[in-house]
Amino acid sequence: MSLVVSTEKLTKSYGSRTVVQDLDLRIPEGCVYGFLGPNGSGKSTTMKMLLSLIRPSNGQVQIMGRPMNRSTRRELLGKIGSLIESPPGYGHLTGRENMRITQRLLGLNDQQIDFAVRTVRMQNQMDKKVREFSLGMKQRLGIAMALARQPRLLILDEPTNGLDPAGIEEIRDLLRRLAEGGITVMVSSHLLGEIDKTATMLGILSQGQMIFQGTRDQLFSAATPDVLIDCTHPSRAQQLFARHHQTTLENSTLRLPGADDRTTAGVVAALVSEGIGVYGVRRDEQTLEQIFMSLTAGGGL
Amino acid sequence: MNAIGAELVKLKRSLSWAVVVLLPITLVVSGSVMTLIDGRPLEDGWHTLWMRSIVFYGLFPLAVGIAILASLIWRAEHRGSNWNALMSGPTSSLRIVLAKATVIGMLAAIMQVLAVATTIVLGKLVFQLPGFLPGEYLIAAVVIIVACFPVAVLQSWLSMLMRSFAAPVAVAFVGAGISAFLLVLKLTPAIFISPYATVSRATQLGTSTFADTGEVTGPVVALIIGAALILSAVLTTANTAILERGDTRT
Repeated sequence: MSLVVSTEKLTKSYGSRTVVQDLDLRIPEGCVYGFLGPNGSGKSTTMKMLLSLIRPSNGQVQIMGRPMNRSTRRELLGKIGSLIESPPGYGHLTGRENMRITQRLLGLNDQQIDFAVRTVRMQNQMDKKVREFSLGMKQRLGIAMALARQPRLLILDEPTNGLDPAGIEEIRDLLRRLAEGGITVMVSSHLLGEIDKTATMLGILSQGQMIFQGTRDQLFSAATPDVLIDCTHPSRAQQLFARHHQTTLENSTLRLPGADDRTTAGVVAALVSEGIGVYGVRRDEQTLEQIFMSLTAGGGL
Repeated sequence: MNAIGAELVKLKRSLSWAVVVLLPITLVVSGSVMTLIDGRPLEDGWHTLWMRSIVFYGLFPLAVGIAILASLIWRAEHRGSNWNALMSGPTSSLRIVLAKATVIGMLAAIMQVLAVATTIVLGKLVFQLPGFLPGEYLIAAVVIIVACFPVAVLQSWLSMLMRSFAAPVAVAFVGAGISAFLLVLKLTPAIFISPYATVSRATQLGTSTFADTGEVTGPVVALIIGAALILSAVLTTANTAILERGDTRT
């Protein structure tokens, strides 16, 4: 699997304050890469370094196998569509006029512009001034501007920020369609639920450091979910393990955190030998939020 | 890739057109308004009219006008993430710098044409001067347009660096004031250092003001155009280098 983006020890500091530290990003071709982290964790800064909008203090960026720096950026940027921070657009101009600017700057033909506008379903809104656009329309126009150049890589910074649920679903659907069309998409969010269902690869950033990178399944196996036990005498069972395990009782279900398979088997055996009937043993289903909390050790989202 | 073409689209419905039309007309008219009220004739015909309109206009209003245009052009880029978007594209830094300066220079040129046209209209219709604006002043008008370009590059650079609308305008006001003072002291070499001095000097061409001899000769014209070209090249190179090296701030 070839990598579209890879970084080596990517670092950005302002004075003594380090915003991004030793980041080793790996974004395989054709995936939707969810870039997660709380506000201020360094997501935008990282994306700006990928685009060479800001220069890394240390480390390197490789895009499509080539080093990304000030001498190569203009060439590489022709193949990268991006949306950083808020959506772009000149408020005093209509959607169509904004697209004409993109067309002239990038030397694109009318078909490429039409295709981008249709992809974000904005073809009926193009004669309105951008100033009068809703936030969702601005986001979609911004994505159209990024898409018009037919990029191999799309870098979107919080594209669902401020959108209503329908708008969020529409962006998700769009990202999936783009990835199916072979575009590699990197999308950031501070809301895990927004990315959970779309991303095939995940990178989690906390205070400028990568605390996890891998597939969704790998993420779930990285944190061991609690074991839930249903038995005939739950209160007695809890007393039995009170000294060794931090068990809690929830609606007569025994919750056993941090237990691996062997411990679980031992616990069940002990319960049975005490004459307690065990009729249910299962792992709790975890949401991405819970995993994130455990990875960041309670750092607020 | 057509960076200037893209800049022209941005001028649609832009406030800068109001500045381009109103500033030169207002200033040229206000230069002769006292003469008009008094009802006295112009002592030296076209020459006096040119002094009161174009030379006055060239002392500082022209530089301030170009500064306002640059701030207006850049204001759109500083809003939202437009500047990020422009810098995340394949257009080279040099092309971005040149496109911005060219558009500002173009607006300044239109402003100059309107200033001269207003002067001619005033002369013919209001003061009913005999003949037509002397030919050497038409040459001077072309030289002024060329001399506007280094000011356009400098103001574009300042407005690129400063998000503030007023700060670059203040720089132009102070810069033009100091430059005018240097020209009063007949320190003509200032035109090779300060673009404000270059454009002021150009407006004085053929008028005997300050260091001017009163004659529009080839060497003088060449000197002013040379200074304008050198300053434009130096400022464009510096602006491009800064843009190429620096981080994009939004």
